[in-house]
Order: sequence, then C-alpha cells, then structure tokens
Amino acid sequence: MEDYKFLFKVVLVGNAGVGKTCLVRRFTQGLFPPGQGATIGVDFMIKTVEVDGEKVKLQIWDTAGQERFRSITQSYYRSAHALILVYDISCQPTFDCLPDWLREIEEYASSKVLRILVGNKIDREDREIPVHVGEDFASRHNMYFLETSAKEADNVEKLFMKIAEDLMQQARSKDLLRYDKDTANITGKTSVITDSNCCSRLT
Amino acid sequence: MSFDKSKIDKALFEKQNELQKELDRLKLKDEEFVKELQHLTLQTEYIDGKIKSLSKVIPVLKTIRNEAQELISTISDLSELSEKINEKVKPLEIARCRVDECQKRVSDLVDIELSSQGVQTAIINEDYEEGAGHVHRFLLIDQSLLQRTASEAENLSSVRKAVQTLQDAASQLRTIIKHKFDEAVHNEDLGSVERFFKIFPLLGMHEEGITKFCNYLCMKLEVTSQKNLKTALNTTVADKRFNIVYADTMTLLFEGIARIVDIHHPLIETYYGPGHLLSALSILQQECDKQTKLILLEFNKHRQLTRRLNQISEINKMSNSSSFSKLEKIDPKDLDLLIHEVTIMHSRAELYFKFVRRKVTMDIEIGYPNKEEQVQKLYKLDMVISTSDLNQTKIDLLSKYLQLEHYFMEESINKAVNMDTLEPGQNTSSMVDDTFFIIRKCIRRATATGSLDGICAVVNNACGVLENDFCGVLRNRLRQGYPTGYLDLTQAYNVLQTSLQQGRLQSGDTEQARTAFVVALNNTSVSIEYVETLCDTTLSDVGQALPNITSNEKGKLESCLSGLSSVITNLREIVEYGMQQLRVSAIKPRISPWVDAFLNINHQLTEDELSEYEAGDTFMNTLISNLNSLLFTFKESLTSSNYDVLVGVVAAEVSSRLEKVILKTTFNRLGGLILDKEIRSLAAYLTTTTSWSIRDKFARLTQIATVLNLEKVSEISDYWGNESSLTWRLTPTELRSIMSLRYLTTFKKSALIFIND
Repeated sequence: MEDYKFLFKVVLVGNAGVGKTCLVRRFTQGLFPPGQGATIGVDFMIKTVEVDGEKVKLQIWDTAGQERFRSITQSYYRSAHALILVYDISCQPTFDCLPDWLREIEEYASSKVLRILVGNKIDREDREIPVHVGEDFASRHNMYFLETSAKEADNVEKLFMKIAEDLMQQARSKDLLRYDKDTANITGKTSVITDSNCCSRLT
Repeated sequence: MSFDKSKIDKALFEKQNELQKELDRLKLKDEEFVKELQHLTLQTEYIDGKIKSLSKVIPVLKTIRNEAQELISTISDLSELSEKINEKVKPLEIARCRVDECQKRVSDLVDIELSSQGVQTAIINEDYEEGAGHVHRFLLIDQSLLQRTASEAENLSSVRKAVQTLQDAASQLRTIIKHKFDEAVHNEDLGSVERFFKIFPLLGMHEEGITKFCNYLCMKLEVTSQKNLKTALNTTVADKRFNIVYADTMTLLFEGIARIVDIHHPLIETYYGPGHLLSALSILQQECDKQTKLILLEFNKHRQLTRRLNQISEINKMSNSSSFSKLEKIDPKDLDLLIHEVTIMHSRAELYFKFVRRKVTMDIEIGYPNKEEQVQKLYKLDMVISTSDLNQTKIDLLSKYLQLEHYFMEESINKAVNMDTLEPGQNTSSMVDDTFFIIRKCIRRATATGSLDGICAVVNNACGVLENDFCGVLRNRLRQGYPTGYLDLTQAYNVLQTSLQQGRLQSGDTEQARTAFVVALNNTSVSIEYVETLCDTTLSDVGQALPNITSNEKGKLESCLSGLSSVITNLREIVEYGMQQLRVSAIKPRISPWVDAFLNINHQLTEDELSEYEAGDTFMNTLISNLNSLLFTFKESLTSSNYDVLVGVVAAEVSSRLEKVILKTTFNRLGGLILDKEIRSLAAYLTTTTSWSIRDKFARLTQIATVLNLEKVSEISDYWGNESSLTWRLTPTELRSIMSLRYLTTFKKSALIFIND
C-alpha cells in the first residue's frame, strides 16, 4: 500500500504544440525536453506532493492535442478531478480554439471538475495574446488563470500545487459531508473518497 | 635513669642488628661476583675459537666481492650490446613491412593488369559476374595509393593504362547492369533480376541495387494486392468471410510484405552485407501505404463507415439536446460485424509494425556496431514508421473503432435494460447478465486491437456507462420503494411466489412493484461481484495479449481499471439505499407491534405465574415465529448476500425496539430471569439464520438482561468496575436507569451508588 492520503486525476488538454507535455515533464521530472515529438494517445505520470503535511498523489494525464486522438482523450474527461486547458500565448489560433475545448469539457467532464486556463510559453518574445485577454476569458468562464513557462520553470510548480491544495480542500469538505451522512446510517460504514482501492488491490 | 639506659641498650641492639644484616648482604654479593668471574673465564676460550674461525673466512669474502664486481660489468656490457642490436633490427623490421607493402602493391598491379585484360573479355562474353568480380577487386584497392603509384612509376605506363581500362570498364558495367536489370524486370525474368541484383554491390552500387530491386518487389506487391482486392470485391454475401473480407485483404498485403522480407533479407544480407534492410523497407512501406489506402477506400465505400459515424455523432448530439429524436437510431447489432472488422484491421497493422520493427532493429544492431550510428538508424526507423500513411491509418482506425464501440456499448446496454426480463426461479433479472456480457465483449474486443490506449479508452467508457446509466437505472428502480399495501406480507409473498412459478406477473401492481424492488436490490449486489470479476479478468487478459508492456503502461491500465472500483462504491451505496427503503417500509412497521406486545406482559411474576407463563405461548416464541415468517418471505427472493444484510437490519431493528420497551417496563427477579432467557434465545435464533455474526447487535441487550437478572444488587460490582473483563456497551447513566427498573421491587435506591461515573 502506497503512502498517500488523497489521489487526484489531473488531465491536460489543448491544441497540439502548446506545451502540455513540457509542462508535465517540467513538473514531474524537472526538465525541459527540447524537440518533443507529438504525444501519441495519452501519457501518464505520477507525482506525490505534500500539502499541509499530507501526502497528495497527483495522477497526471497528458493528452495528445491532435484531432485524431480525440476519441481516446475524451474518455479521460469524466473521471478527472481537475482539467488544465492550455494555450500558447504566442499563437493566436491556439487561443481561438478555447471555446471548442470548453464545449468538449462541457460535454464529457463532470460538472464539478476544477477548470484551469493556462497560457504557456511566456518566455517567448513574440506574444500575441495579452495577459488581460486570457484573464478575461478565464473569468468569463469561471476558470482559474495562470501564465507559465515550462522552459523557464515559471509558475509550473505553482500551477500544480494550487490544484492539489484546491482539490484537497474540496475533498475534505466532501469528506465531512459524507461523514455526517454515514452517522445517520445504522451500519455506520465509512465510504472511501479516494478511489485507489482497486489500484492497491491490483498491485 | 634506668629507663634511659634501657632505651640506649635497645638502640644499640637495633644498630647491631642492622650492621649484621648489611654484612650478610655484602657476603652474598661477594659470592655472586666470584661466580660471575668464573663464568667469564670459561667463556674466553669459546670466544677465542670464534675469532680464529672468522679470520679464516675474510680472504674468501674478498674473492667473492671481486667476482661479483666482474659479473656486474659483464651484464652491463651485455645490455649495451643488446641495445645496439635492437637499434639495428628496428629499421630492418620497417624495411620488411615496406617490402610486404610493395609486394602487395605489385600483386595489386599484377591483378590490375590481369583484371583489365579479363574485364574486357568478360564484358564481351557477357560474363558479368566475372567482369564485376574484376571491378570489385579493383575497387578494393586503395584508389589514392593507386594514383600515386601510377604517377611515381612514370615509366610503367601500362599500369596507368590498366587503371584507365578498369575505370572505364566499371562505368561501362554499371550502365550495362542497370540496363540489364531493367530489361529483366520488364521481361519479368525473375532469375535475371536476382542475377543482376547480386552484381550491383560488386560495382559499389549498394543503394542503387536495393532501390531498384525493391521497386521491382513493389511492382509485384501491387499486382498481387490489386488482384486480392478484386477478389475481395467479388466476394458474395453468402461467403463465410464476407464480413471481414477487407480485413482479410489487408492481412494478405501485410503477409505479402512479411514474406518478401523473410525471403529476400538473407539474399540482401549475403550480397550487400547487414544494415541495408532499413532502406529496403522504407521503399516497400511506400507501396504498402499506397495499397492500404486503396483497400480502405473500398472498405469505406462498401461498409459505409463514414456515413455510420456521422449518424452516430448526429444521434449523440440529438440525445444531448433533449429534443429527443425522430432520428432513427442504428441498431447496435448492425454495427457488431463492422466493429469486428475494424478491430482486425487495427490489430493486423499493429502486428505488421511489430514485425518490421523487430526485423529492422536486429539488422541495424548487426550492421552498425557503432552505438551512435545505431541510435541514429533506429531513430530513422521510428520516423519511417511513424510518418507512414499506414500509421496514420492505424490511428484513424482506432479512433473510429472507439466511436463505434462506445455507441455499441451504450446502446446495447440500453437495449438490455429495456428488454429486461425476470426468469422464474431467478433472483436477478436478465439486464445484469446482459450488461456485463456486453461490457466484457467490448473490453475483449479492445484487447484484440492490440492498442493499450484503445483498451484504456474502452475501460473508461465502460466505467462511464456503468456509473451514469446502469447505476442510474438501479437507483431509480429502488427509489420507487417497497410498497406494503393493504395485503399481509406473507400473503403477498405467496401470491408473488405462485406468479413466479407460473411465469406470469400480472397479479397486481403491488406485487409487481415488490418483485421489481427486490430484483433491483439483487441486481445491484450481484453487479458488485461482476465488476470485481471484470476488473480481474481484464487485467489478466491484457497481461496475456500484451506481455511486453512497461510498468508505466501497466500503471496506466490499472489507473483506468480503478475507475471500476468507484463503480463498486456507487453500487454499494445503492444497496445501502435499498436496504434503508426496505427497513422503513417493510421491516419497521411489522416489527414494532410484535415487539410492543412485550408491554402487555407482566414482568413481576410469582413462582406460580412463572411456570404458567412458561407453559403457554411466551412472548419470545411468538416474536421468533413472526420474525421467521417475515424473513422467510425474503429468504427465497433475495440473493444470499442481500439476505444476510437484511437479517442484520432486522436484528438491529428488533434489538433497538426491544430496548425501548424494556425501559418502559418494571421487573422483579423472576421477570429479569425470563428476560435474560428470552434474549438469549432471540440471539441464538437470529444467529442461525445468517452466515454473518450478528451477536454484536445484541451486545447491549444481553448486558441489560444480565443486569436485570442479578440476584442481589451488590453482584453488579462483580461486573462493573475496573477489574471487570467485560466491555460495557452501556453508559453509567443508562446502567443506573436500567437498574432502577428493578429498584421498585428489589433493589434499594441507595444500592445504586455502586455505579460510579
């Protein structure tokens, strides 16, 4: 049995080439792989972080941006606790596609999912989308907003830690709720909020 | 005075003693000296002898020293000499090497002479193998060295001429061989094709040979593939393989390429050396891409894949926009064969790439011992594969497969739910078996594609369908509740039982609703087992189908499968919900009056009344027989695990109700005795009805009975207090109020101070 108290699934989506894989690599391995090929299907990484002295396991799903992998990547939305929607601040088309991505999230993800908008590549000189435009979009759609650079490791740690903290808070309040409900039951069975049961049973 | 004298005497005496002692010591020392002297005198002789013998050795040592010096000088002389010799030998060795080189060059020159003569004759005689052999021999010679030789030895004009001849012959041969090869290809003369193919490397035309040969093979491939496709198009519906005929055509294409590789790879390796398979395959891959495209074109046209996919996405859109459809749904059954064919196509492409990767990697590892070069070549192989049209096609096929499979799974389960039937004598209805059969089938099919991403996606989709649709259906059915109606429950059961036996269920709405409720409850708990099994079998199936997956990939799969465990959590909550429904509507209203009868019974009995009570129908006998008939109504209709849960619910309900009525009653000693006995028999009865332990549910009740059954109030101190091994479920306040139930008759109020908080 691994030593963690919470397990959260974080899914990254967004157009091809906006730097999803680089963000994940930077966070999980601390490196910036240059000349990264396009992701095939879905990649899977794990990193355990500590929030308020509790071990939190983040299961990060890095999806392929290309259209042809959509039917694979869509299947991961439903069980996601957090969805990171990434665009490239130096590439207008990746920003223009955001409404399409939101539609997709709307259709497949849980309504309670934590949604974060991320403008990546702030190390680049040729910015096309000003910060306030990204901010506006995020606030209009009820999302968190952050600009990052996977290359310079700017805000990457902050992004994932913020997600971990938020999800933990969410889980704790839900935990309390469940506890109240359970005491009313005569059997008094406590239900587990993390869905790691199966995993730990299999390994 | 006399005292003084004696003192002086004593002092004198002491002095004398001291002197005597000193004298003795000196005497002893004197003796020792004498002994030592004697010993030394004895040794003198021995030492003299030694000195004499030593003086004899001295001259010998002198000789040895002289001789040693002589030896040293000899040795140094020798070493000098050998160094001198060595200096002389070195140039000799160099000279010898030069001679060897010269010899080789001369023999090369001789060879060139011979070759230049031979090559002409060979060309004239059309003996290209020999001609190429001569050229090959010529090409093996270091060309720059040859140039130097020719210019140095100016008088040897014949050499220069020979070189010229050979160079001319080489280019002549190259043209001839190319031409001859093309001719052979044109005439479809396989023997000649292979013959000239073998000559290319002799003329240093490796790449050209491979390219030409592979182009020829591609031509062959095209012909065969076109023929296969034509046969496929002419296949009749009656044919057994009609439904997978395009997958078969694709398989034939891949097998054809594999056969080409298997047959010609040894040929290439023998005549061209290892490491050439990559270039050969990248040429073949182009033809493969071309042919797959043609096959898929026909496939799309005849199976109407695109149209069906559009239809599906249309249906999905409609169902989301709640304006539910006039749109005709596709029967999932109609898609079954198509999905099957797509699966086969994908898995064949996967297998083909695996084969190519294995073969070429092996060839590269042998052909390029240099690690850096190897990595570079392997990267090139990756590029050839990943940029090939077939790879794109493979990805598209998987994507289409997933869309079709998702629709198939959702709609089939939908159908299974709509066509739900209850077979007589069964605890569960058909939708459970059907649903899990469908899901298992879909996951198996995904496993057959050979793509882990595909498997994971189908598992994810299955989790979604189970959690949203399937669980929703079960929850809704339980939400209807368990109707009690006006009928007595036993009666209701009997009706239900007969209707089940006769296979008709129209005997009334209430009974139907009851059956539906119980069946839904059973369905849910059986589903939990099914999901667990599904998880295990999927893991082992995938392990078998993809034995080489990395630990990261395994983690990916397990993480997706963990989605199933949240389905289990969901199902458990539904069972719990159903049981609560049952408790509220069917258990509690029945049990309460039965237990409340306790209040009508006198618990302050005399001995006579006691025997009279025990002779008749006791309260507990009645209760147990009532409970028995209540449980019996469910025993047959519930699954055993649900029945166990139900017994637990009944036990909890009875014990809490009983506790309430006990607190409303007063007891004397005999009343307490009866109560204790009755509770024991109740616990014993309920224990026999289930495989689970329910004693725990009676812990409080048993303790209450024990307290009320005490002979004397002081006995409580045997149970209560720190020394006691009993774990009390009752608080001190509760204990006090229970004891006060007998206080009125037996215990004095003051006695209750035994119990401290």
